[in-house]
Amino acid sequence: MKTFVKSWISVLSVLLMMVFLAPAGTMAAEEIKIGVIYPLTGGAAAAGRELRAGAELAAEIANSTMADLPMTMAQNSGVKSLGGAKIKLIFKDHEGNPTLGADQAKKLILDDKVDGILGCYFSSVTKTVSAVCEQYGIPMINGSSTSPALTERGFKWFWRTTPHDKWFTKDLFELLVGLTEGKVKGVKAIPKKDIINIASACEKTEWGSHVSELIKEFSKEYKFKLRKSFLYAAKSADLSSEVRSLKASRADVMLFASYTSDAILMVKTLKAQKAQPKIIWGQDAGFEKPEFRETLGDSISGILTRTVFLPKVVEIKKLAGQVNDMYKKKTGNDLGGASARAFTGLQTWVAVLEKAGSTKPADIQKAANAIYIPGKELVVPWQGIKFASTGNEMGQNVLGSGLIGQYQKNKDGKIELEIVYPFDVSSADMIFPFAGF
Amino acid sequence: MDILIGSLFAGLLIGMILALVALGLTIIFGVMDIVNFAHGEFLMIGMYTGLLTAQGLGIDPLFTLPVAALVGFLLGIICYFGFIKFIIRGPMVAQLLGTFGLMLFLRNLALLIFGSEDRAVHTGLLVGKSFDLGLGIIVPATKLAAAGLSVAAFFAVWMLMHRTRVGKALTATALDAQGARYMGIPTERMNALAWGIGGASVTIAGALLVNFWSVNPFIGLLFTMIAFAIVALGGFGSIPGAFFAGLVVGLITEIPGFWDFFSYTFDAEWMMDVPMTSFKYMWVYVAYFLIVVFRPRGLFGWKQ
Repeated sequence: MKTFVKSWISVLSVLLMMVFLAPAGTMAAEEIKIGVIYPLTGGAAAAGRELRAGAELAAEIANSTMADLPMTMAQNSGVKSLGGAKIKLIFKDHEGNPTLGADQAKKLILDDKVDGILGCYFSSVTKTVSAVCEQYGIPMINGSSTSPALTERGFKWFWRTTPHDKWFTKDLFELLVGLTEGKVKGVKAIPKKDIINIASACEKTEWGSHVSELIKEFSKEYKFKLRKSFLYAAKSADLSSEVRSLKASRADVMLFASYTSDAILMVKTLKAQKAQPKIIWGQDAGFEKPEFRETLGDSISGILTRTVFLPKVVEIKKLAGQVNDMYKKKTGNDLGGASARAFTGLQTWVAVLEKAGSTKPADIQKAANAIYIPGKELVVPWQGIKFASTGNEMGQNVLGSGLIGQYQKNKDGKIELEIVYPFDVSSADMIFPFAGF
Repeated sequence: MDILIGSLFAGLLIGMILALVALGLTIIFGVMDIVNFAHGEFLMIGMYTGLLTAQGLGIDPLFTLPVAALVGFLLGIICYFGFIKFIIRGPMVAQLLGTFGLMLFLRNLALLIFGSEDRAVHTGLLVGKSFDLGLGIIVPATKLAAAGLSVAAFFAVWMLMHRTRVGKALTATALDAQGARYMGIPTERMNALAWGIGGASVTIAGALLVNFWSVNPFIGLLFTMIAFAIVALGGFGSIPGAFFAGLVVGLITEIPGFWDFFSYTFDAEWMMDVPMTSFKYMWVYVAYFLIVVFRPRGLFGWKQ
């Protein structure tokens, strides 16, 4: 009996030793835990799946060696400066609910002891989650929320890689100026007086009214004449008096911030009223939805919309093409605005950790404020990633840029979005002026 | 100038359709002294009927008027016999709350069946086509057709009320139900008929509207309010009043257009800065308020 107990004690002690010693042996390849909060169920679940797949793909690339991918994180397995530590993503679902998002963030920080947070797509959720991170002093990188206010709060633990609505609106005015300077592919320089009159109609929730204000600001700054500017209810069943008002302004450029059904109704009404401005531009959202294209068909040829990622980028940028192939193999779909930005968000996390060489929040903070990722390492068509560490846009990537796409009919007679801005990545000649419906 | 004439034209066209929307309300009120809060929901049902029939058969909603009329007629009759007949015996408050309940019921039923998203007609014979009347005035074909058919429907109802025995019986019931009953007029059936005609005329208006308006289960309230304004303006129970007031209200909804005309004619910056289109329905309610305060009988009203 005694020997039996003795042998058991020795077996147990060996086991115990193994338990204690095992982590020491693998200490070099420790895991780095990143909490990722996305809308994985609910109304935006489709976007959530894309976001998740984008972040997962970036983690896979970071955790293995892929010499043919021209990005730093593909060159070594894991984070080199942390002894090849692997990135481990812990996903949580916020269902589009800011309160739930904040709870998930607390769970990740307190229970899972994550080293940082990535998320959350919805600006409203990013707002609450970043407040939790700020409170606990945990770094958070945001890849895809575009409300300008997020980086205007002076947070010390929040960085955003995506450009926001202010940038997108500025892009439009840069395009207009580019038109007058002959910078646009396929269009000769036109006198400014031909496009000086602007009119805008934006839906009246927080997003649209904010865009409307931005249009006002920028038209002053760029010296365009805003002849008409109003808000309308996105739920409107009829926009004919709005469209007549736009027409009456004799604007050369008509700008819209619309959700899906109102974007369709707006363009339908413009068509019925035979409106013929020289430029029609939509601030993403409704103007980029598949329904917009399907419902309106050929009549949208020539309409512009801002966007962040288009399949065309893949054709222009080799790296984006390579990553797209991997993404397609993984999910069956092409990279989109959500997945490409989620990918870039996690890529930025890896680069920051690499630079920090530590998982201490203070070191990460220092590294994030000093990080620079050149544009050629990104799948998105930006000049790079570099965060503002002072001023009134703390934590905002200053090298991002949006895209402006134009619906054009391709050789097969299908309507596709071609890139017309930025000028150096434009994929087709711009149709100018808008030919009418 | 084209802005002014364009707005005038648009106001009159939409006014003709709005008049038809209000017609049902004024008939029901005229005959039975009951205010139907669910009127807008009848319109919503008419819009869905037009839309779904058109999509099902692959035709323009303009051609679905008979179906919409039948649905509206039956709906009116069913509502009368299944519901109104009972609450009409109660006090005025019961009638108000009763039709209010009917409104909530129909709206939520539509929400359950159709969901909350907007639906609209995107294809059809006239959809997307428009006429250029010169002077820069452009009239969408669907609107013109809808306005024309509205006037036709309006005229048909007017003829029914004034040139037929049934119409006379309806008028008699409206004037003095008890007297009419003594004269052998089946007033119960007349009441039901008023609901039927009222329902049919508003569902026809719905099927016309859906040619260029999108529909969702909540669309009714806007039209209930507008119909109230029209009926108050034209006088409760007055058919010509409803037509005339419809045109006036149509023009009122075009106030932003007139505003634009003046702001560009005088090139007044401050006028251009006023977001008039955001308040286009406000003026309708202002008119409603004024008429209720200063002339509760309305312009053509004959009922106290």
